[in-house]
Amino acid sequence: MFDRRLIQYFDWWLIGLTLILGAIGLVLIYSAVTAGDAISQETLYGKQMVWFGIGLAAMVISFIFNYRLFDQWGGGIYIISIILLVLVLFYGKYVAGSRRWLVLGPLTIQPSELVKISVIIVLAKYYSKRASIQGFTLKELFTPMLFVVIPFVLIVKQPDLGTAMLLVMIAASVTVYVKIERRSMAWLIGSGAILVSMAWFFFLKGYQKRRILTFFNPDRDPLGAGYHIIQSKIAIGSGMLFGKGFLKGTQNALSFLPEQHTDFILSVLAEEWGFAGTGFVLFLYMLLLVWGLSIAHGCRDSFGTILSVGVTAMIFWQVFINIGMVMGLMPVVGVPLPLISYGGSSVVTSLIGIGILMNISMRRFMVE
Amino acid sequence: MNKADKKNIQLRIVMIGIFFSLLYSVILARAVQLHVLKGTWLSEKAAGQYKKSIVATGKRGTIFDSKYREMAVSIDVKSIGAFPGAIDNAEKTARSLGKILNCRSKNLKKKLLSKRSFVWIKRYATPKEVSMIKALNLEGIDFISEYSRVYPNRSLGAQVLGFSGIDGQGLEGIEYYYNHYMNGSTARQTVIRDALGRGVDADQKVLAEYNGNNLVLTFDKAIQYITECALDEAVKTYSGKSGMAIVMEPSSGAVLALAHFPHFNPNNFRKFEQDLWRNRAITDPFEPGSTMKIFLASAAIESGSCNTNTIFYCEGGRYRIGRNFIHDTHEYGWLSLQQIIKYSSNIGTVKIAERIGKANLYHTLRNFGFGKKTGIDCPGETAGTLSPQSRWSKIDTGAISFGQGISVSAIQLITAVSSIANNGILMKPYVVQAITDRNGRLIENFHPQKVRTVISPETAGIIKRIMQTVIAEGGTGVNAALEGYTVCGKTGTAQKISNNGGYARGKYVASFVGFAPAENPAVAILVAVDEPQEQHYGGIVAAPAFRKIAYDTLNYLNIPPGRGKPMENADRLIAFRGRGAKR
Repeated sequence: MFDRRLIQYFDWWLIGLTLILGAIGLVLIYSAVTAGDAISQETLYGKQMVWFGIGLAAMVISFIFNYRLFDQWGGGIYIISIILLVLVLFYGKYVAGSRRWLVLGPLTIQPSELVKISVIIVLAKYYSKRASIQGFTLKELFTPMLFVVIPFVLIVKQPDLGTAMLLVMIAASVTVYVKIERRSMAWLIGSGAILVSMAWFFFLKGYQKRRILTFFNPDRDPLGAGYHIIQSKIAIGSGMLFGKGFLKGTQNALSFLPEQHTDFILSVLAEEWGFAGTGFVLFLYMLLLVWGLSIAHGCRDSFGTILSVGVTAMIFWQVFINIGMVMGLMPVVGVPLPLISYGGSSVVTSLIGIGILMNISMRRFMVE
Repeated sequence: MNKADKKNIQLRIVMIGIFFSLLYSVILARAVQLHVLKGTWLSEKAAGQYKKSIVATGKRGTIFDSKYREMAVSIDVKSIGAFPGAIDNAEKTARSLGKILNCRSKNLKKKLLSKRSFVWIKRYATPKEVSMIKALNLEGIDFISEYSRVYPNRSLGAQVLGFSGIDGQGLEGIEYYYNHYMNGSTARQTVIRDALGRGVDADQKVLAEYNGNNLVLTFDKAIQYITECALDEAVKTYSGKSGMAIVMEPSSGAVLALAHFPHFNPNNFRKFEQDLWRNRAITDPFEPGSTMKIFLASAAIESGSCNTNTIFYCEGGRYRIGRNFIHDTHEYGWLSLQQIIKYSSNIGTVKIAERIGKANLYHTLRNFGFGKKTGIDCPGETAGTLSPQSRWSKIDTGAISFGQGISVSAIQLITAVSSIANNGILMKPYVVQAITDRNGRLIENFHPQKVRTVISPETAGIIKRIMQTVIAEGGTGVNAALEGYTVCGKTGTAQKISNNGGYARGKYVASFVGFAPAENPAVAILVAVDEPQEQHYGGIVAAPAFRKIAYDTLNYLNIPPGRGKPMENADRLIAFRGRGAKR
């Protein structure tokens, strides 16, 4: 039976915000792929439109059914996403040295994107059943850690360190939110530090180390690993207050900007629209995040609250890492800007996340 | 959920919000820092990347002859350069370039691997090479528009035109003298380049407005050709070392032709000896010999102390001044002034000089322009040497009167002779009559410039008549006689100074200077042959060349034969013209 309140509580603000960000993304991608006639990438623009449509459909599906279904299906969704990740390892398409994509007919998907959502769901499912005032102990945290470690390892294998780290950040945010018992917290931080230093010496690949080192000093290698950061900073700064105008970004058009339609899309924005543009988009993201948290705040059951905190954390960390990276505050890791960067799976994942937030938002009247 | 739980949860959400905001504010601060605080600095960095300042130069102006025929033009060419930093596979690039350019890929590779940011691969590549290399779409290879100077007439007038080097700077001759007019102006041009260093506005439709100015010469290509042919023949016939010939319009001082032998081709001037590049008619002084006698005669007539019939005793061919003896080629007794010039008697000349005094001779020679630069618009002009009369000994005065102990440039000599043709008015010689801009609009017009009146028109008329007798039967210059035109002239046969200061045996400069037609001179012509063999008299070596140049030039200029003397010998005329046509 259809509840009229679903329409009454429908979150027009959230969908409006999402569509504005998506539209900005399309405008920027258009500029990124058409400005300058060096390499024609105009087909990419059409592709992105299609993906945005698919994402909107996925978003609608995500809010049509009561989000409690996610609670019930959480395990299944998680297992499917893990299977996809395993498939990538064997059948994935190699692009620039890493296997991140699965080719499904005309579509190419990136399961590591979708797995972010499934991890959030499965964690929310787990935590919501056991939450307590004291917080989780190490023993209780073992299962959720396993939920994260499995996809983490699979993604590191691809290798895609950025997405893997992002997964950890999201999971950590959710876990910290549901409260960790004090001593366990100390343990986790200590062992985490040891793990990171070990990872540096044993697991990180040369290019990954180089990126991190270059982050600390981009001029170490201005034409190599530091190139992205330097060029991006130049593009952003030269946008000044009001930018150079749509399609007029010199660094963009003359292909000084690397990856300008994917991870470095913000530098196109910054160059062509200046601080006004960057500030506006940052403001929109801030609204989106505040909105997400307020949905969590307004939700009356713990599964929904944790889920919305998780989705908001996912968006937050992506925005923070991506912009931090583009602005030279962070090493270059392949994290797209949600809703704006080119990339089908990224857009679809972000829109599913928004769909989940809307789902929770429009059902906040349903008291447990 | 109980109430405490719920409050706790909501508090935690707010704390997450605060945590996120803190991190978020870092990004915001960074955005302000990059956009606002460092914006200007980063903008300049951006501009530094995509804007490349190059010095673009407009095309060098064209040199035209007086009939607007091209003597020197600049054409667009492409040169191929490389940015070694942008080349990944130097080996492969070098190989493909080498194949097209037909040169060793090893050398190319060395260039492509050099540390310099830019290297030339080939200057002035052919269009075919350029299009073939363009088709390869090689990274780091660039095509630069340049101009190449071309002299379509090859060696014609080369010493006067000079040439310009590969960077478009005039190095010799008029190219050098007027370099600053003809040079395209350079403009700092910013070219937008993409990340691979390729020019985005690659074929810049640069710079018509930067093109240099054109020169219009007083030269006439046809007369130049006539002159060069005649000079070549004269020098070759008598196996001379070198030769010069000048054709001047007496009424204006305009140089219509200036020929040198041997030639060089300015299109590849480096293949020729440097000695040949010079415009020797301007830069090199020589002792003129007997041609100077006409100036002595001018001084004598102008002073009023003699007339054409004043007679002098020529001492039977041997005359002593102090410890020196002066000789004549023939033994003469009494000769009139006119005859002294006609027969070119040295002793007679000395006697005239003694009569008029050295001060008079010196001033007359100075007035004719000797010992001073004419001011012609060619580089490296010599003033010649005419020492002050206070230093002249008796023998000096005598020698100078017949052209020894004085050195002149060819241009000085022809300019001075032209003043006689021009009724005693000395004109400043010039080779450029106008400068036009890139659109052909006149920028500067060089009008004939009068220097001074040297002798009265009456004196000039008398000298002309004397000079006519030189050509007449029995004179030294009969070989210069023209059918249908009256010719004024004077032969010169000067012994060359050897390295040890004395006169060299058997080394002469044979010359002939004159003008025609006598009544209204259209051209003054000097022919000088250096070190002719077998014959060394100006009347034999140089006079025939004079005749050819004069005859063909007068014909070319459509100067009708004078009424006074009908064509005496039509057969000879036809034969003569036939030879002219064959050349």
